Amino acid sequence: MSSLEETLQRAENLLQPYGQSFNRPELNRLDVYLQRENLLAAVQALLEARWGYLSTITGIDRPSAAVEEGQTPTEGEIEVLYSFCSGAAVVSLRVRAPYSDAALPSICPLIPSATLGERELMEMFGVKVEGTPDTSRLILADSWPEGVYPLRKSFVPAARFSGEAKGG
Amino acid sequence: MGLEVSKPWQQALDKIRTWARVNSPWAIHFNSGSCNGCDIEILATLTPRYDVERFGIKLQGSPRHADVLICTGPVSLQAKDRLLRIYWQMPEPKFVIAVGSCGLSGGVFHGCYNIVKGIDEVLPVDVFVPGCPPRPEAIIYGVAVLLEALKSGKRPERTMTVELPAGFEKPQAEVRQ
Amino acid sequence: MSFEPLGENRFIVPIGPQHPALKEPGHFEFVVDGEIVTGASVRLGYVHRGIEKGAEDRTWIQNLYLMERICGICSHIHATAFVQGVEKLAGVEAPPRARAIREVFAELERIHSHMLWLGVAAHEGGFDALFMYSWRDREVVMDMLEMLSGNRVHYSANLIGGVKYDLNPEMMDKIRDGLNYLEERLAHYLDVVNHDETFIGRTRGIGTMTREQAQLLGAVGPTARASNFAFDVRVDAPYAAYAEFPVEMVVAQEGDLHARFVVRILETMESIRVLRRIFDNLPESELVTRVPRRIPAGETISRVEAPRGELFYFIASSGGEKPERVKVRTPSLCNWGTVITLAVGHKLADMPMILAGIDPCFSCNDRLVMVKRNHQDPQVWTWADLRNYGIEYYR
Repeated sequence: MSSLEETLQRAENLLQPYGQSFNRPELNRLDVYLQRENLLAAVQALLEARWGYLSTITGIDRPSAAVEEGQTPTEGEIEVLYSFCSGAAVVSLRVRAPYSDAALPSICPLIPSATLGERELMEMFGVKVEGTPDTSRLILADSWPEGVYPLRKSFVPAARFSGEAKGG
Repeated sequence: MGLEVSKPWQQALDKIRTWARVNSPWAIHFNSGSCNGCDIEILATLTPRYDVERFGIKLQGSPRHADVLICTGPVSLQAKDRLLRIYWQMPEPKFVIAVGSCGLSGGVFHGCYNIVKGIDEVLPVDVFVPGCPPRPEAIIYGVAVLLEALKSGKRPERTMTVELPAGFEKPQAEVRQ
Repeated sequence: MSFEPLGENRFIVPIGPQHPALKEPGHFEFVVDGEIVTGASVRLGYVHRGIEKGAEDRTWIQNLYLMERICGICSHIHATAFVQGVEKLAGVEAPPRARAIREVFAELERIHSHMLWLGVAAHEGGFDALFMYSWRDREVVMDMLEMLSGNRVHYSANLIGGVKYDLNPEMMDKIRDGLNYLEERLAHYLDVVNHDETFIGRTRGIGTMTREQAQLLGAVGPTARASNFAFDVRVDAPYAAYAEFPVEMVVAQEGDLHARFVVRILETMESIRVLRRIFDNLPESELVTRVPRRIPAGETISRVEAPRGELFYFIASSGGEKPERVKVRTPSLCNWGTVITLAVGHKLADMPMILAGIDPCFSCNDRLVMVKRNHQDPQVWTWADLRNYGIEYYR
């Protein structure tokens, strides 16, 4: 356990200059909230220290109605998690982008394998990833309409699943 | 068709054709968005335990050589076009076997935004094989049911019109039985 | 991954979109200069069904069945990742016996998956006899899984808070017999892979990936371990009962296709060893603990080692009956990146083996089409064009 703690502490130290706030939601996890401008520098810091590998890029839609954060602005946001893993430890760099300016810098120059994750982000959430090498469609059908982002909460499938849970 | 034959000849020819078709149907397999489960079971029918090749059923790659399309999956929007292309490339008469619950109705993927909900929304299906996934025996039985129907001369009625995929030319010589 | 402008003798060879699993089915385009591949790109989405969105409309229990059907080959491990995440959110832990049984299913699944892969990869290389043999032997595992759960493919062993099926001594004896047989066969396959002249010719030194490359490209699972990039979630962050019944990590130094074969076969043997150990020391306890229907709000990350590598689930709950967000990152997605890079510089004829080498859920046979014609104007040929060309050619 101590080595897990050390690993996370090391990441925390590395990211200290860039993170706005740090959080330990679980024993093996460290969440680092970042400004968009600091994303590349933070990734660079992890890479240079050879801290783990990029596991995945997760997008989450946070529509304006969200109340769990105290100071959530009225405008909805897309939150993006860059999860890095090292052994059992997981560090998530959390970046937010408002709907009106849904753009993030690409981390592909640092980590080439991020391209698939970034393309997914563009298609499913409508986040503009600036400087990503390939912007062609990856997942959605060719006939899929432009500007419709299925993983945004505002998107409702035409034939929605309605199977109600019965019993207890 | 340019070739005119007298009626008894035609009947004899039809008999030979049916005999050949029933004895050695060639099948093409297409996954239109299923989870893999049905596909590995279809593949398993080829391998030594089940070995359908000894009954003359051959799975092969080109739709141009196929009599039977064995299709799995709920037909994702992206795969729909491919499925139609494959169907149009198959020579007449052609038959479709839908394998797996999601190929029948969308199954567990009901309500997902990227599917058409079942193969019969796109193609006229002759045999449905339910199960998630069906056992290899069930798939073989599905083929056997189709062959039995062919042998007895019953042809399923086709009322459905199949969409022509974009940029695809309709084959000119359509051999109708 | 973008192409250079097409030069004189360059062609784009598309490889059809015929194969399964969540997002893995891909349409590849290889740019070839003569026989040599100079660039590659991938288009996914033929089997994209919208599961992540669909999960938001389903209850936690309903989702369990949806997650299993992300992949028919590794359905148990998907469900395991999901239930472990949900259990973490709910603050419960599955009983020891349930966790051990999860491991039993996971390892049986790994055996079935690796044997399936061995067959398919051999088939891609033209070794159909090995394909038939390994699939014949794989039926032994399928029988075991069927005996345990009643189903050959989607065993559906997991519940939130435990498992559905118990093991009894007769079952364990039967499985032990089967494992003995499999171990013998695997030793034979290892011998074939290591000593067969033609096999070595097709695999050794092909698609070599160094440790640095593996790390940079984000390779996972056996593909990474074959390049001496040693990480395995089962060892690094034990879940289920892997802390009590640990596995040993199998790594190889070479990083070529041959190493990937060896790593997978040895891993299968390791699974057999662990299974025997579990059967000898199966803990006694309940099978299920009680879990509330509403899962408390929170976020969690659940990582497990699927047969193909690290499987990553991000689950967010807002405290209701349905999840807020479920993100699934399947191992094959990571490994695509490696294929795209490894392809460059190799012969077109090696592509199927390199593709199959990462075990990209290739259960049906993606086939490769070659273009060899002096076409004045290099262009993209569609599947249909190629097929017509092929038919004309052989007429």
